[in-house]
Amino acid sequence: MVRPKTWTTALAAAAAMAFGAGTALAQGNTLNVARVIDADRYDPPRTTARSAGDILFLIADTLVALDWDLKTIKPLLAKSWSVTPDGKTYTFVLRDDVKFCDGRGLVADDVVYSIKRWVDPELKSPVRGRAGKVKDIRAKDPYTVEYELEEPFGELLFQLTQYFASIVDKASVEKLGADFGVKGFNGTGPYCWESWVPRQEFTLKRNAAYKWGPDFYANRGPAHIERMVWKIIPEDSTRLAAVQTNQVHITQYVPYIALDQVMKQPNLKTQQAQSYLWTYYFGFKVDRELMSDIRVRRAMNHGVDRDALVKSVWFGHATPAYTPVSPDTPDFNARTLDTPFKYDVEKARQLLDEAGWKPGPDGIRVKDGKKLAPVFYGINGSPARQLAEAVQGDLRKIGIDLQVNLFDATIGWGKLATQEFDAFAMSYPYVSVGDAYNLYFRSAAAPTPNRMNWKNPKTDDLLARGTAAVTAEERRRHYDEVQMQIQEATLWLPIIHEQLHLTASARLDGLRAHGIYGCAIYKGLDFKFK
Amino acid sequence: MTDVAVPSPAVAAMATRRSVAYRLLREPTAFVSTLFLVLVVVAAVLAPWIAPYDPYFTDQAKALRPPFEDPSYLLGTDAQGRDMLSRLLYGTRLTLLMGLVALVTGGGLGALVGILAAYYRCVDGLLMRTMDVLLSFPAILFGLAIAAITGPGLTPIVIALAIATVPLLARIARSTALVVMQQDYIDAARSVGLGDAAIIRRYLMPNCLSSIFVFMTLRFGQIILIGAALSFLGLGAQPPTAELGTMAANGRDFLFFAPHIATVPSLSIFAIVLAFNVLGDALRDVLDPRLRQ
Repeated sequence: MVRPKTWTTALAAAAAMAFGAGTALAQGNTLNVARVIDADRYDPPRTTARSAGDILFLIADTLVALDWDLKTIKPLLAKSWSVTPDGKTYTFVLRDDVKFCDGRGLVADDVVYSIKRWVDPELKSPVRGRAGKVKDIRAKDPYTVEYELEEPFGELLFQLTQYFASIVDKASVEKLGADFGVKGFNGTGPYCWESWVPRQEFTLKRNAAYKWGPDFYANRGPAHIERMVWKIIPEDSTRLAAVQTNQVHITQYVPYIALDQVMKQPNLKTQQAQSYLWTYYFGFKVDRELMSDIRVRRAMNHGVDRDALVKSVWFGHATPAYTPVSPDTPDFNARTLDTPFKYDVEKARQLLDEAGWKPGPDGIRVKDGKKLAPVFYGINGSPARQLAEAVQGDLRKIGIDLQVNLFDATIGWGKLATQEFDAFAMSYPYVSVGDAYNLYFRSAAAPTPNRMNWKNPKTDDLLARGTAAVTAEERRRHYDEVQMQIQEATLWLPIIHEQLHLTASARLDGLRAHGIYGCAIYKGLDFKFK
Repeated sequence: MTDVAVPSPAVAAMATRRSVAYRLLREPTAFVSTLFLVLVVVAAVLAPWIAPYDPYFTDQAKALRPPFEDPSYLLGTDAQGRDMLSRLLYGTRLTLLMGLVALVTGGGLGALVGILAAYYRCVDGLLMRTMDVLLSFPAILFGLAIAAITGPGLTPIVIALAIATVPLLARIARSTALVVMQQDYIDAARSVGLGDAAIIRRYLMPNCLSSIFVFMTLRFGQIILIGAALSFLGLGAQPPTAELGTMAANGRDFLFFAPHIATVPSLSIFAIVLAFNVLGDALRDVLDPRLRQ
């Protein structure tokens, strides 16, 4: 057996030769970024992809920014804001020195236009609900915006830090029409749109006028890096080789298997985000015959060894999950951890026995002549495939034959919107308990993203009350209760809470990973070559 | 009285057949590839009895073991801690079976179309132009299109491979049949009043068989290769099913750290395809009368 290190070096050198020729020329003050997939478009309210956020956080700004801790709201386009005591009206005072990439100054009408466009039913934004129940948005004067809600929405400021809430230029939207975010874009971010070759690369150039960046960056002026080139490198091995040979300068997508080695490599450095909320889970369709029995769902939770999964799929760089959101999440109810469905094969078998599923001749459990073989849908990729196979292997040991079907991303999302499967796998980012639970567990969110088909009036009521609560205590009370209810109902098999690592060339200064929506580079203002 | 041995036609045919096998195995390359393929087929058929482990039993603690390190896992383990040797045996079994089903259905249909086109000249144009249309689509495209309708799995791959084989066999069978149709015994059969079906079955088909068989042997290698390519693209067997192309595809994420996961199935595909190609070439040489000395 050849030692892994030798293999790596040899392959890396080969990949460098194949990959290097073109990129070596474009050095200078250009930052090459590697990532795995592209987005279908870069129009803020019309996508939910992390890969869209990568770029949108750089070419557009939001009213408010989210600090490294993912808990503190900081000024960005709005230098200050206030909320009326009833929690229904937010008044934002905008900076008066903000310029779009085309040089025009930002005014309150741009904010009004962008938010109205986001909540316009005609735009069919999949994230419309994240803006709250908007009653009206008004420009009181050129630099003051009033954001009025039908009912209080405690997490509005958190939602306004997300890229869906990016402020865009009306003229650019109207001029480009359906091509907005495809052929061009006009925003106020630290970078401007230069060119996009779908599924290949996205080139950004610095916005030289930029001086309104959030104060948690040391650099308060324009970005140090003049150009960014975001390259799509889907193959794990190729991407790893490109990083190890400094063909790309930075990525958050080092394959987990290589992370330990990369951390030790002297020409690279790696930084982990201090706060990061992204969870992998399996969901169950509770109205399907095989999944309707809570004992089966709990048995599946007891049957999967998350610690082993963390080691074998994430190579130690993840945290086992027993709750739908990470314990670091704002408003997390720690009591849900008292009833985790931890790895306990005996308990799992016992639950299945109780539920009437008896082992058949091939070890797979049977009841009334029907096999316990739930149909599973997922989207193919890494680590999704390894995860599906590992869970399948664990469930097989308790007599459940998970029928894994993995689809290409192009048809996978459509398949996941159907009612033809029992279980599915997904991973998702969130900002708070309210964000996560409203996204997934409301009746109105069925059939997607509430693919569990969980329709429960008590859940709906608690979530509505928690969302509309004016005080933090009131919100906590409702959210605590709904978390307990969902935990007891066992709608998911939480797998892991992801960790976010940003790996860069040792030549790059100012490296710090941000956890917002999994887009670790966020505004990238402090990056600088030595 | 003297017994005069008059060789019956059947005995003569057997002698020819024996000599074909004899001449084939006298070629060292053909002998080696035949021996290898026999071993592969036997191992694949006996997989459930000779595999050391359950190919689907995962053990995360034993994941990514390199080959030849632990004698109980001769070829190491994959990312899920499954035994590579057992998966290789089961994977070969499924890959061969997939190729065989596609070859027999697609090849059989193609040969029938070709022979009919040669015999009934009135439908020749129609049939062969249809084959030309089919020929213009690559097998990969068929696979993608069918998988888009049915979802990934082995069925779309087998269908795609079979469809892609039909026009190739149709052309070979037609050209051979056209030559056979010129022979006097066909005219003789007609003149004694045999029907179309009888002529095709008793004279035309048997005389086309050797070239069809040679082509099918060569095609089998190609089918395995295209099938593996389709699986590699993610259209093939779904987890946890072991299939050589899928195994190679899944191993590529670990190419740096556990190269055996991708290379073991890839080398198997390579060896099987090579053996079929060598065998096909040798068969052609042996069966082609023009090359006979």
